[in-house]
Amino acid sequence: MRAVVAEDLFLLRDGLVRLLEAHDVEVEAAVDSAPGLLQALLDHRPDVAVVDVRLPPSFTDDGLRAALDARRQVPGLPVLILSQYVEQLYARELLADQAGGVGYLLKDRVFNDDQFVDAVRTVAGGGTVMDPEVVAKLLGRRARDEPITRLSAREREVLELMAEGRSNSAIAQRLFITEKAVGKHSTSIFAKLDLAPSTDDNRRVLAVLAFLNT
Amino acid sequence: MMLRLILVVLLAAGCCALAWRMWVATGRISKAWVTRRLVPLVVAGVGVCGLVLSWSNGDPFAFAHLNGIGAMTQGASWRSALLLQSVAFLAAGLWLISGPASRRLPRWGLLLLPIPVIGGLLLDRNYGPAAWAAIMVGVLLALALATFFPVVAADLATVGLVAVGLIGIVSAANSPSVPLPSVFVAVPGGQVSQAFGAVSPKLALLAAVEGAVVLAFGLWLVPRTIGPHAMALLRLEPDAELAGRVEQLTQTRADAVDTAAAELRRVERDLHDGAQARLVALGMNLRAAERLIPTSPQAAMALVAEARESSAKALTELRDLVRGVHPPVLADRGLADAVRALALDTPIRTETDIDLPGRLDPPVESACYFAVAEALANAVKHSGARLVQIRIRHSPDPGAPRADSWSFAPSASGLLRLEVTDDGVGGADPSRGTGLQGVERRLATFDGILAVNSPPGGPTMIIMEVPCVLSSLRTSSC
Repeated sequence: MRAVVAEDLFLLRDGLVRLLEAHDVEVEAAVDSAPGLLQALLDHRPDVAVVDVRLPPSFTDDGLRAALDARRQVPGLPVLILSQYVEQLYARELLADQAGGVGYLLKDRVFNDDQFVDAVRTVAGGGTVMDPEVVAKLLGRRARDEPITRLSAREREVLELMAEGRSNSAIAQRLFITEKAVGKHSTSIFAKLDLAPSTDDNRRVLAVLAFLNT
Repeated sequence: MMLRLILVVLLAAGCCALAWRMWVATGRISKAWVTRRLVPLVVAGVGVCGLVLSWSNGDPFAFAHLNGIGAMTQGASWRSALLLQSVAFLAAGLWLISGPASRRLPRWGLLLLPIPVIGGLLLDRNYGPAAWAAIMVGVLLALALATFFPVVAADLATVGLVAVGLIGIVSAANSPSVPLPSVFVAVPGGQVSQAFGAVSPKLALLAAVEGAVVLAFGLWLVPRTIGPHAMALLRLEPDAELAGRVEQLTQTRADAVDTAAAELRRVERDLHDGAQARLVALGMNLRAAERLIPTSPQAAMALVAEARESSAKALTELRDLVRGVHPPVLADRGLADAVRALALDTPIRTETDIDLPGRLDPPVESACYFAVAEALANAVKHSGARLVQIRIRHSPDPGAPRADSWSFAPSASGLLRLEVTDDGVGGADPSRGTGLQGVERRLATFDGILAVNSPPGGPTMIIMEVPCVLSSLRTSSC
């Protein structure tokens, strides 16, 4: 797997590169600014980009904007955004093109390198990974909204973990149920959210979108 | 005659004032009831009586003569004048009755009353077309003056009201044939007797009440408009506006310094008790782990895991702290998107309607953000609302009417208006909670104001206005 890393703080950039390489991810370019990121993404067309939201030149959300720019030119280019804080607003902007292959995580999540690399792989594979903090905020807010209310408590738990980017087996492990049961729950979720049959991956993305956009 | 008239007027006025004081003192009626209900009703009532009289005394189509200026006849002219005045009174009364919410007329709205009154007097004479053209030009000039120099126009309107009242009294006193002091329908000279000789004393009584109301209005306006200006011009007293402004600036500056100091103390305390303490614990854990590695690596690993958790918690605390000092999304995207992000994070349904084509100054942006955040937090905590609506607009118009249109605060070339409305139980009282008071003080630093309208039973509407300019257009491509 080939990756491009964008992070302006040298220590963190170095740490990220070493972490990814330790898990057999080849880092093709490590850049420290938004224009550099856009150039590297268009030059290398990596399998995944790991991007800090805040980058030079303006030190605001340049990283996010450069990544969205790149996705407009290369549709579906997988992008994992890292940030010191998470905003639902940014999550929505990332998800807006409905193409999947996006992730949005707090920087703290790199502490758990296995989970972090899992997330990188999920995004590279076209999945959607949302930070548990984004998901928790949504749950606090969306308690009364349709059509999520149609889901049973267990189905909501499954959808929540799906939004965090976990695979069926990881969800099964987490909820202490069989993988088959997870499959059943997700079929039921897709039906209740009126998602037409298509590939399972695509429907997962759409289910997460429905969850985020209600 | 003159002396008797003045005595009667003074006596009547004294009796009225005494009666009012007694009524208010006994608590049977409130002062607010008199000013908000009785006075407007009297004014409107005068207008209605005038309308009825002008229609019941002879030619019911008197108003038609207003259109055919050349065809105006002596007999119809006073009825036309009365009609015009009555409409003005009725409109003024209704305007007063309709309550403070709609009383946002700009200053030159004062001209609306004197223009028909003076116009009515002028109609009482048979002017030629040239004179009428001159009058029309005069009216247009007055409107232009009101638009471009509202303060001057208000002063002139006051002078006009007082002068018209005095002229009326003098001419009434000079007309012995009139049974009561008929002030307004009256015109100088013999026309008075001609006009009133033919009509009932009711009309004369009405004219007297009308005159009293207009004169009282003029006198009421004197200390509010021309009085202070004249005094300041004559250097008889310090400029009250300027003195008030200095006092306000001193107060808001002290508040701003206090707020900033309190904020710094809070940040210091949070860092000291939170992240700093956690880092100390982290260092101790790591040191202990270092010692344990040779002897019991298992225990060392547990300590290292604990240290990792501790650093995650420290990060969470720092993140919350940063959000409280200056939310990153506000720095990144400005007020509009920061408020949208805030709405997304609010546990009740929150709709935003924001139109800001540029960025505000960072301090204003921050104050407005925290003001909206406070209003939202109140709605969530106390209102029981199911829907909150946030509306933010910026008007670049320098002459945009302020809610306190009497103030002379220097206006920046634009006004930011923020409204937070919820459909909850209402009854919010800004004087009880410290949150909205803090917001009010913080906005006051920028000459901003806050108004809360929250009747019991709801809805609650919080309106904030801050004079400010929008800077460069947003460059974000998102």
